[in-house]
Amino acid sequence: MKLDHSLPPEYSTEENRLKILGFWIFIGAEIMLFGTLFASYFTLVDRTAGTPGAAELFGITPLIIETLLLLTSSFTIGLGVHAMRMGNKKAMMAFFAITLLLGAGFLGVEIYEFNHFVHQGVTLQTSAFSAILFMTLGTHGIHVTIGIFWGLFILMQLKKDGLNPATANKSFIFSLYWHFLDVVWIFIFSFVYLKGMM
Amino acid sequence: MSELFPRKQVMGFVFSLVLTALALAVYFFDMSFTVAMTLLLVTAFIQAGLQLVVFMHAGETEDKGAIYTNIYYGVFIALVTVLGTLLCMIWGYV
Repeated sequence: MKLDHSLPPEYSTEENRLKILGFWIFIGAEIMLFGTLFASYFTLVDRTAGTPGAAELFGITPLIIETLLLLTSSFTIGLGVHAMRMGNKKAMMAFFAITLLLGAGFLGVEIYEFNHFVHQGVTLQTSAFSAILFMTLGTHGIHVTIGIFWGLFILMQLKKDGLNPATANKSFIFSLYWHFLDVVWIFIFSFVYLKGMM
Repeated sequence: MSELFPRKQVMGFVFSLVLTALALAVYFFDMSFTVAMTLLLVTAFIQAGLQLVVFMHAGETEDKGAIYTNIYYGVFIALVTVLGTLLCMIWGYV
Protein backbone atom coordinates (compact mmCIF):
# COMPACT_ATOMS: atom_id res chain seq x y z
CA MET A 1 0.00 0.00 0.00
CA LYS A 2 1.52 3.30 -1.11
CA LEU A 3 0.88 6.04 1.43
CA ASP A 4 0.92 9.68 0.39
CA HIS A 5 1.40 11.70 3.57
CA SER A 6 0.77 15.04 1.89
CA LEU A 7 -2.95 14.19 1.80
CA PRO A 8 -5.45 13.61 4.64
CA PRO A 9 -5.60 9.89 5.63
CA GLU A 10 -8.88 9.25 3.81
CA TYR A 11 -7.21 10.07 0.46
CA SER A 12 -3.83 8.54 1.20
CA THR A 13 -4.02 5.60 -1.23
CA GLU A 14 -5.09 5.41 -4.86
CA GLU A 15 -7.89 3.04 -3.87
CA ASN A 16 -9.16 5.46 -1.20
CA ARG A 17 -9.16 8.36 -3.66
CA LEU A 18 -11.15 6.32 -6.19
CA LYS A 19 -13.65 5.18 -3.55
CA ILE A 20 -14.39 8.81 -2.71
CA LEU A 21 -14.80 9.69 -6.40
CA GLY A 22 -17.07 6.66 -6.80
CA PHE A 23 -19.21 7.79 -3.92
CA TRP A 24 -19.62 11.21 -5.52
CA ILE A 25 -20.92 9.45 -8.64
CA PHE A 26 -23.43 7.60 -6.42
CA ILE A 27 -24.52 10.96 -4.97
CA GLY A 28 -25.06 12.21 -8.54
CA ALA A 29 -27.43 9.27 -9.09
CA GLU A 30 -29.20 10.02 -5.81
CA ILE A 31 -29.78 13.63 -6.91
CA MET A 32 -31.58 12.26 -9.98
CA LEU A 33 -33.60 9.79 -7.85
CA PHE A 34 -34.88 12.59 -5.62
CA GLY A 35 -35.48 14.70 -8.75
CA THR A 36 -38.00 12.13 -10.00
CA LEU A 37 -39.68 12.03 -6.57
CA PHE A 38 -40.01 15.83 -6.50
CA ALA A 39 -41.36 15.82 -10.08
CA SER A 40 -44.06 13.30 -9.07
CA TYR A 41 -44.82 15.21 -5.87
CA PHE A 42 -45.37 18.51 -7.71
CA THR A 43 -47.66 16.72 -10.19
CA LEU A 44 -49.82 15.03 -7.56
CA VAL A 45 -49.78 17.56 -4.72
CA ASP A 46 -53.35 18.81 -5.35
CA ARG A 47 -54.92 15.34 -5.91
CA THR A 48 -56.11 14.89 -2.34
CA ALA A 49 -59.51 13.30 -3.17
CA GLY A 50 -61.19 15.48 -0.54
CA THR A 51 -58.92 14.33 2.31
CA PRO A 52 -56.60 16.71 4.26
CA GLY A 53 -53.92 18.23 2.03
CA ALA A 54 -50.51 19.76 2.71
CA ALA A 55 -51.86 22.90 4.40
CA GLU A 56 -53.93 20.96 6.96
CA LEU A 57 -51.43 18.16 7.61
CA PHE A 58 -48.13 19.91 8.22
CA GLY A 59 -47.21 21.59 11.49
CA ILE A 60 -44.54 24.26 11.80
CA THR A 61 -43.19 23.02 15.17
CA PRO A 62 -42.15 19.49 14.13
CA LEU A 63 -40.78 20.96 10.90
CA ILE A 64 -38.50 23.42 12.71
CA ILE A 65 -37.33 20.74 15.17
CA GLU A 66 -36.53 18.29 12.35
CA THR A 67 -34.68 20.94 10.36
CA LEU A 68 -32.60 22.11 13.33
CA LEU A 69 -31.71 18.52 14.29
CA LEU A 70 -30.58 17.63 10.78
CA LEU A 71 -28.70 20.90 10.15
CA THR A 72 -26.86 20.53 13.45
CA SER A 73 -26.03 16.88 12.72
CA SER A 74 -24.55 17.92 9.39
CA PHE A 75 -22.39 20.46 11.26
CA THR A 76 -21.25 17.97 13.92
CA ILE A 77 -20.20 15.34 11.37
CA GLY A 78 -18.23 18.08 9.60
CA LEU A 79 -16.47 18.71 12.92
CA GLY A 80 -15.95 14.94 13.20
CA VAL A 81 -14.10 14.85 9.88
CA HIS A 82 -12.06 17.89 10.97
CA ALA A 83 -11.10 16.11 14.22
CA MET A 84 -10.22 13.00 12.20
CA ARG A 85 -7.80 15.05 10.08
CA MET A 86 -6.13 16.27 13.25
CA GLY A 87 -5.76 12.61 14.29
CA ASN A 88 -7.97 13.17 17.33
CA LYS A 89 -9.86 9.87 17.38
CA LYS A 90 -11.62 10.52 20.66
CA ALA A 91 -13.14 13.85 19.56
CA MET A 92 -13.97 12.37 16.16
CA MET A 93 -15.90 9.48 17.67
CA ALA A 94 -17.71 11.87 20.03
CA PHE A 95 -18.79 14.08 17.10
CA PHE A 96 -19.90 11.04 15.08
CA ALA A 97 -21.90 9.75 18.07
CA ILE A 98 -23.58 13.16 18.52
CA THR A 99 -24.40 13.16 14.80
CA LEU A 100 -26.09 9.76 15.05
CA LEU A 101 -28.06 10.82 18.13
CA LEU A 102 -29.29 13.94 16.33
CA GLY A 103 -30.20 11.73 13.35
CA ALA A 104 -32.16 9.43 15.67
CA GLY A 105 -33.92 12.48 17.10
CA PHE A 106 -34.87 13.59 13.61
CA LEU A 107 -36.21 10.13 12.84
CA GLY A 108 -38.23 10.17 16.07
CA VAL A 109 -39.96 13.42 15.11
CA GLU A 110 -40.58 12.13 11.58
CA ILE A 111 -42.20 8.95 12.95
CA TYR A 112 -44.34 11.11 15.26
CA GLU A 113 -45.38 13.14 12.19
CA PHE A 114 -46.26 10.03 10.14
CA ASN A 115 -48.33 8.80 13.07
CA HIS A 116 -50.06 12.18 13.18
CA PHE A 117 -50.85 11.97 9.43
CA VAL A 118 -52.34 8.50 9.86
CA HIS A 119 -54.50 9.74 12.76
CA GLN A 120 -55.81 12.47 10.45
CA GLY A 121 -56.96 9.64 8.18
CA VAL A 122 -54.16 10.10 5.65
CA THR A 123 -52.30 6.87 4.84
CA LEU A 124 -50.26 5.64 1.89
CA GLN A 125 -53.46 4.55 0.11
CA THR A 126 -55.70 7.58 0.79
CA SER A 127 -55.01 9.68 -2.30
CA ALA A 128 -52.46 10.35 -5.02
CA PHE A 129 -51.15 13.17 -2.81
CA SER A 130 -50.77 11.00 0.29
CA ALA A 131 -49.04 8.24 -1.71
CA ILE A 132 -46.37 10.55 -3.14
CA LEU A 133 -46.01 12.40 0.19
CA PHE A 134 -45.22 9.21 2.12
CA MET A 135 -43.04 8.03 -0.77
CA THR A 136 -40.93 11.21 -0.87
CA LEU A 137 -40.60 11.68 2.90
CA GLY A 138 -40.19 7.92 3.37
CA THR A 139 -37.37 7.63 0.84
CA HIS A 140 -35.48 10.34 2.71
CA GLY A 141 -36.38 8.79 6.09
CA ILE A 142 -35.15 5.34 5.05
CA HIS A 143 -31.87 6.93 3.93
CA VAL A 144 -31.49 8.45 7.42
CA THR A 145 -32.33 5.09 9.02
CA ILE A 146 -29.74 3.27 6.92
CA GLY A 147 -27.29 6.08 7.69
CA ILE A 148 -27.70 5.61 11.44
CA PHE A 149 -26.83 1.90 11.21
CA TRP A 150 -23.99 2.57 8.76
CA GLY A 151 -22.59 5.15 11.20
CA LEU A 152 -22.89 2.76 14.12
CA PHE A 153 -20.90 0.11 12.28
CA ILE A 154 -18.24 2.69 11.40
CA LEU A 155 -17.99 3.70 15.07
CA MET A 156 -17.53 0.04 16.00
CA GLN A 157 -14.74 -0.34 13.41
CA LEU A 158 -13.04 2.84 14.66
CA LYS A 159 -13.12 1.48 18.18
CA LYS A 160 -11.76 -1.92 17.11
CA ASP A 161 -9.20 -0.96 14.44
CA GLY A 162 -8.38 2.62 15.37
CA LEU A 163 -7.82 5.45 12.94
CA ASN A 164 -6.04 4.19 9.80
CA PRO A 165 -6.34 5.01 6.07
CA ALA A 166 -9.11 2.41 5.65
CA THR A 167 -11.34 3.52 8.55
CA ALA A 168 -10.64 7.20 7.78
CA ASN A 169 -11.80 6.60 4.22
CA LYS A 170 -15.00 4.90 5.37
CA SER A 171 -15.71 7.68 7.84
CA PHE A 172 -15.18 10.38 5.23
CA ILE A 173 -17.50 8.65 2.75
CA PHE A 174 -20.11 8.30 5.47
CA SER A 175 -19.82 12.04 6.15
CA LEU A 176 -20.48 12.75 2.45
CA TYR A 177 -23.63 10.62 2.65
CA TRP A 178 -24.82 12.38 5.79
CA HIS A 179 -24.29 15.87 4.35
CA PHE A 180 -26.17 14.78 1.26
CA LEU A 181 -29.19 13.73 3.38
CA ASP A 182 -29.17 17.23 4.84
CA VAL A 183 -29.16 18.73 1.32
CA VAL A 184 -32.17 16.60 0.36
CA TRP A 185 -33.94 17.65 3.55
CA ILE A 186 -33.42 21.34 2.67
CA PHE A 187 -35.38 20.74 -0.55
CA ILE A 188 -38.12 18.81 1.26
CA PHE A 189 -38.24 21.56 3.91
CA SER A 190 -38.60 24.28 1.24
CA PHE A 191 -40.70 22.71 -1.50
CA VAL A 192 -42.81 20.13 0.31
CA TYR A 193 -43.41 21.71 3.73
CA LEU A 194 -43.03 25.49 3.40
CA LYS A 195 -44.57 25.63 -0.09
CA GLY A 196 -47.47 23.52 1.21
CA MET A 197 -48.04 25.67 4.29
CA MET A 198 -47.70 29.20 2.92
CA MET B 1 -10.64 22.75 22.45
CA SER B 2 -11.16 25.67 20.09
CA GLU B 3 -9.11 23.96 17.36
CA LEU B 4 -11.92 21.39 17.20
CA PHE B 5 -14.28 24.13 15.94
CA PRO B 6 -12.72 25.57 12.77
CA ARG B 7 -13.93 29.05 11.93
CA LYS B 8 -14.94 28.11 8.38
CA GLN B 9 -17.32 25.36 9.51
CA VAL B 10 -18.80 27.37 12.38
CA MET B 11 -19.48 30.25 9.98
CA GLY B 12 -20.96 27.77 7.49
CA PHE B 13 -23.31 26.45 10.19
CA VAL B 14 -24.36 29.96 11.28
CA PHE B 15 -24.97 30.91 7.64
CA SER B 16 -27.10 27.79 7.09
CA LEU B 17 -29.21 28.72 10.15
CA VAL B 18 -29.67 32.22 8.72
CA LEU B 19 -30.78 30.77 5.37
CA THR B 20 -33.26 28.49 7.18
CA ALA B 21 -34.69 31.46 9.09
CA LEU B 22 -35.00 33.41 5.83
CA ALA B 23 -36.89 30.52 4.22
CA LEU B 24 -39.22 30.34 7.24
CA ALA B 25 -40.29 33.92 6.48
CA VAL B 26 -42.60 32.57 3.75
CA TYR B 27 -44.63 30.89 6.52
CA PHE B 28 -44.63 33.72 9.07
CA PHE B 29 -45.17 36.66 6.71
CA ASP B 30 -47.74 37.26 4.04
CA MET B 31 -46.18 37.42 0.59
CA SER B 32 -47.16 36.70 -2.98
CA PHE B 33 -46.56 33.24 -4.46
CA THR B 34 -43.90 34.56 -6.84
CA VAL B 35 -41.91 36.32 -4.11
CA ALA B 36 -42.19 33.32 -1.76
CA MET B 37 -41.10 30.78 -4.40
CA THR B 38 -38.18 32.99 -5.44
CA LEU B 39 -37.07 33.24 -1.81
CA LEU B 40 -37.35 29.47 -1.32
CA LEU B 41 -35.46 28.68 -4.53
CA VAL B 42 -32.64 31.11 -3.70
CA THR B 43 -32.21 29.97 -0.07
CA ALA B 44 -32.44 26.24 -0.95
CA PHE B 45 -29.84 26.37 -3.72
CA ILE B 46 -27.41 28.55 -1.73
CA GLN B 47 -27.84 26.17 1.21
CA ALA B 48 -27.10 23.15 -1.03
CA GLY B 49 -24.01 24.86 -2.47
CA LEU B 50 -22.82 25.71 1.03
CA GLN B 51 -23.04 22.08 2.17
CA LEU B 52 -21.22 20.93 -0.95
CA VAL B 53 -18.30 23.33 -0.71
CA VAL B 54 -17.85 23.93 3.05
CA PHE B 55 -18.82 20.58 4.54
CA MET B 56 -18.33 18.05 1.76
CA HIS B 57 -14.95 19.39 0.63
CA ALA B 58 -15.98 18.92 -3.01
CA GLY B 59 -13.05 20.87 -4.43
CA GLU B 60 -10.01 19.81 -2.45
CA THR B 61 -8.33 17.09 -4.55
CA GLU B 62 -7.26 16.55 -8.15
CA ASP B 63 -10.66 14.89 -8.74
CA LYS B 64 -12.32 18.29 -8.33
CA GLY B 65 -13.18 18.54 -12.05
CA ALA B 66 -14.72 15.07 -12.21
CA ILE B 67 -16.68 15.60 -8.97
CA TYR B 68 -18.17 18.93 -10.04
CA THR B 69 -18.93 17.70 -13.58
CA ASN B 70 -20.77 14.73 -12.10
CA ILE B 71 -22.74 16.86 -9.63
CA TYR B 72 -23.68 19.41 -12.32
CA TYR B 73 -24.79 16.50 -14.53
CA GLY B 74 -26.95 15.04 -11.72
CA VAL B 75 -28.48 18.43 -10.94
CA PHE B 76 -29.10 19.09 -14.65
CA ILE B 77 -30.95 15.78 -15.12
CA ALA B 78 -32.95 16.37 -11.91
CA LEU B 79 -33.94 19.88 -13.04
CA VAL B 80 -34.91 18.66 -16.53
CA THR B 81 -37.00 15.91 -14.91
CA VAL B 82 -38.77 18.32 -12.54
CA LEU B 83 -39.27 21.21 -15.00
CA GLY B 84 -40.19 18.87 -17.89
CA THR B 85 -42.79 17.16 -15.71
CA LEU B 86 -44.22 20.50 -14.56
CA LEU B 87 -44.28 21.70 -18.17
CA CYS B 88 -46.43 18.88 -19.49
CA MET B 89 -48.39 17.82 -16.37
CA ILE B 90 -49.15 21.14 -14.62
CA TRP B 91 -48.45 24.12 -16.85
CA GLY B 92 -50.30 22.46 -19.74
CA TYR B 93 -47.87 22.55 -22.66
CA VAL B 94 -48.58 19.06 -23.93
